[in-house]
Amino acid sequence: MSLLRVEGLTVALPPGGDRPHAVEDVSFHVDAGEILCIVGESGSGKSISANAVMGLLPKGLPVRSGAIGFEGRDLLSLAPEAMRKLRGERLAMIFQEPMTALNPLMRVGDQIGEVLRVHGSGADAARRVPELLAAVNLPDPAAIARSHPFRLSGGQRQRVMIAMALALEPALLIADEPTTALDVTTQMQILRLIREIQSRRGMGVLFITHDFGVVAEIADRVAVMQRGRIVEQGPASEVLNRPQHPYTRALIAAVPHGAAEARATIATAPVLELRGVEKTYRRGGFFGARAVVRAVHDADFTLRRGETLGLVGESGSGKSTLARCVVKLVEPEQGTIAYHGTDLRPLSRAAWKPYRRRIQMVFQDPYASLNPRRTVGDTIAEGPVTHGEPRSKALERARELLRLVQLDPGAMNRYPHEFSGGQRQRIGIARALAMEPELLIADEPVSALDVSVQAQVLALLAEIRARLGLTMLFITHDLRVAAQICDRVAVMQRGAIVEQGPTSEVFAAPQHAYTRQLLDSIPGRGWTPPEL
Amino acid sequence: MRDFWRRFRRNKGAVVGLVILLLVVLLAVTAPWLYPASPWDMAGAPFSPPGEMGMLLGTDSLGRDVAAGIAHGARISLLVGAVSTAAALLVGVTLGAVAGYLGGFADDAVMRFTEFFQTIPSFVLAILLVAIFTPSIGSVVFAIAIVSWPPVARVVRAEFLSLRGREFVQAAEVLGKSRLSIVLTDILPNALSPIVVLSSLMVASAILLESALSFLGLGDPNLMTWGFLIGSGRSVIRLAWWMSVFPGIAIFLTVLALNLVGEGLSDALNPRLARQRGGAA
Repeated sequence: MSLLRVEGLTVALPPGGDRPHAVEDVSFHVDAGEILCIVGESGSGKSISANAVMGLLPKGLPVRSGAIGFEGRDLLSLAPEAMRKLRGERLAMIFQEPMTALNPLMRVGDQIGEVLRVHGSGADAARRVPELLAAVNLPDPAAIARSHPFRLSGGQRQRVMIAMALALEPALLIADEPTTALDVTTQMQILRLIREIQSRRGMGVLFITHDFGVVAEIADRVAVMQRGRIVEQGPASEVLNRPQHPYTRALIAAVPHGAAEARATIATAPVLELRGVEKTYRRGGFFGARAVVRAVHDADFTLRRGETLGLVGESGSGKSTLARCVVKLVEPEQGTIAYHGTDLRPLSRAAWKPYRRRIQMVFQDPYASLNPRRTVGDTIAEGPVTHGEPRSKALERARELLRLVQLDPGAMNRYPHEFSGGQRQRIGIARALAMEPELLIADEPVSALDVSVQAQVLALLAEIRARLGLTMLFITHDLRVAAQICDRVAVMQRGAIVEQGPTSEVFAAPQHAYTRQLLDSIPGRGWTPPEL
Repeated sequence: MRDFWRRFRRNKGAVVGLVILLLVVLLAVTAPWLYPASPWDMAGAPFSPPGEMGMLLGTDSLGRDVAAGIAHGARISLLVGAVSTAAALLVGVTLGAVAGYLGGFADDAVMRFTEFFQTIPSFVLAILLVAIFTPSIGSVVFAIAIVSWPPVARVVRAEFLSLRGREFVQAAEVLGKSRLSIVLTDILPNALSPIVVLSSLMVASAILLESALSFLGLGDPNLMTWGFLIGSGRSVIRLAWWMSVFPGIAIFLTVLALNLVGEGLSDALNPRLARQRGGAA
């Protein structure tokens, strides 16, 4: 008998949504000792399915039909009191955002102890808490137990969350995108940890993710969700290598393959040369010690005409700061930023203005990078108008650009909130292109997007680059994306570039230990997406 | 816009407030036709209670019509409320924008200056200013504006601080827009909602301040105001309650209406917050 069996689950959406049901006729099961991955893009209903199992659906989303059987009991007909007892003891959940899932005012040890206490085994807390922290491979459990959450890194917090979920030895662990907010190397450690604990204790794991790499890394079986329905379900090796449903095939085809092909070396004139740029943040002083963070140092690079250089690294590595130094959003203390031989660093705001036409930027968050109170047409035309072009001409050009980024020119008079994330990112790209730049700086332009949209935006960028002969500085944390689009990559760690070279060489024969670690952490490295 | 109106209407109190406010405005606009004679003229026997001798709300100790006083006073109260709020907004938004957008030294300087004003009790400062500049409608408006801009500056600064770091503002910087145009076209429109809500409450407190000043005899001696009506009726309140009570009710209703409207605006402009509040109740 299965540990968890969900049959024909249908959950309604409030009226006025884009579809009548959040999930419709969803059936799956999880056995003890196996990991079932539910994959899907945002809005596919994968988290709703998980929350329904936990009895954590918001009031606006009632269950219309179906049954959820857990260890032979029907969870949907269970009284709230009985459900509460089950939660934590037999069913446990870990969430996506480790930064907000812990109470910031409570010591970590006390929070884990609380879980034990609530379920009536508080007496054991003193003994069990260090054990649990050790079980999730945290160094020095006694010290961690005494610290407050803000002292821990994201990966450490997620480990604490897992320790908390494991406190009562649940039979089923539900993990809702537990590694999405983490860096790749941390993600790999957490995935290995979940795998290890699962096999040690024989738990069933329901793992929600949007990333096929993660699926390849961890899943025994896979269920693929699209718009509230499960479209394909089966053993991981089957679904990953021989997908049947067109949607699964499209998703897998969109996964960046991560294999870097050798490209011709580009030996044109340098467009941008950074030498000795340093940016240091100082905090504190007055009382207590001054904290000094060297955000960027030892990060020299040369970008040649028509080339795409990828800056890769984990969060906090300084890659975004370095990119922002180039466009003077961040002002470095020293070094030269030579654009065609002219040092841009000492230039004033006014002296910079002519260069704004030549150097443009695409931002990471499509939801924050467009002014919500301005129409799309005005947003795109704004740059040229600022630089003295007549408005009518700029608007005419904006219309063309919308076509170039494959949006309907009818979008001109609409506001950003009417568009999806991928469409907004296209608008952001059109805005940058309106200036007819020579150098485009793309700061994680696809990291906030679903994988299929990500593939479209990457293809668009590649096409535009080829058509307009753009030089591009491409910042990303995702090595698979870097492999796909960059001619050369520079790997950053703690503010410094530790290795750079042609993409294929860096991927095939990494020299620096950190590069090797990054490459080993790409989820699903052992899986090559099939040619479809 | 239609959406905004739908969300505003969901707050019943705000709709009631808006209706009251519109009635007060209507009264102020139609005062010269309703009561063509000057409100300072004698209209009947002194101390007539409400309803007698054709006086709807009675007469005061000199035989002046209380209802005429309230109607004409509404003009002054609303005018003072609106003009002083506009002046305070001008000062507060400008200083707050400078502090929030530039940050650093400018921020420190402006905020210390603002705190300097906030540490002085506002009513005392207003009295002092009116007394120095001799009571007139101009000096009353000036005094109210001077004491009410600091909260605006603080709110605007906070909004600007958070908006300044947003990516669309950075994008505007990268496009090479000037500082002034970034502040006016990118940041300010996105900071408007708290300013709108705050200003509706400021109109209310300006009306109260003006009434309090008039009550103390520091209003414009040539203008009939609600505060003056209460002040002049104060000494005979046990003989003729209507002289103070009706202008008091007028102030109460207007201020209440403005506060209700302010809350409705806040709900309509921040739909997410409003829903949370509704959900918790």
